[in-house]
Amino acid sequence: MISKKHIKLGAGIAGAIALIAVYKTFNPSGNEFFPKCPFYASTGLKCPGCGSQRAVHHLLNFNIAGALWENFLLVISIPYLMLGFYIEFTHNKTERILKWRKKLFGIKAIYVILVIVISFWILRNTPLLN
Amino acid sequence: MTENKYPPKNWLVESILVTLFCCLPFGIAGIINASKVESRFYAGDLEGAERAAREAKKWTKIGFWISLVGIIIYLLFYAVVMASVIGSNY
Repeated sequence: MISKKHIKLGAGIAGAIALIAVYKTFNPSGNEFFPKCPFYASTGLKCPGCGSQRAVHHLLNFNIAGALWENFLLVISIPYLMLGFYIEFTHNKTERILKWRKKLFGIKAIYVILVIVISFWILRNTPLLN
Repeated sequence: MTENKYPPKNWLVESILVTLFCCLPFGIAGIINASKVESRFYAGDLEGAERAAREAKKWTKIGFWISLVGIIIYLLFYAVVMASVIGSNY
């Protein structure tokens, strides 16, 4: 019996495969059909997410240096995000997992993330990180 | 700390993804709500934590749909412009 959940899952997987194929094949710089960042287009300043599409293109082609250059924050956050998803989707979280969750994804960690995102936003528009 | 009870899903990871791939304002709103989920849960305010979790989920979803709709509109616009450019060459 195919449920709504299965359809959603199937659509998600199909979409992910299509996106991976597109982002691996085409470099967003030089291919006009990729969406542009509205913040960058209107202000000329980079937002924390600018360069993500190019970074993904480089990552899919195993060019880590290129990806770091396009969006440093995105690349270094990948292991953290993966760990976060792992903990989120672990059923029956043990005391140990909960302890790590609190340490790495708790209130203090969230404030650190906010500071990192905002500092990155400011710094990447200065000569310091450009 | 309440034993044997998990904090509600705080949508932190999803909010970071929204920040990096879509729209900064919604991502930040999600991250702030994630912090509320955490602080309220560990202060014993379970109901408040649930409320913040729903709010965090809402911002993640708004970010997701806005980026999806935005991309579709952008592609349609691009196709129209391309079609007119090609059309004008003949």
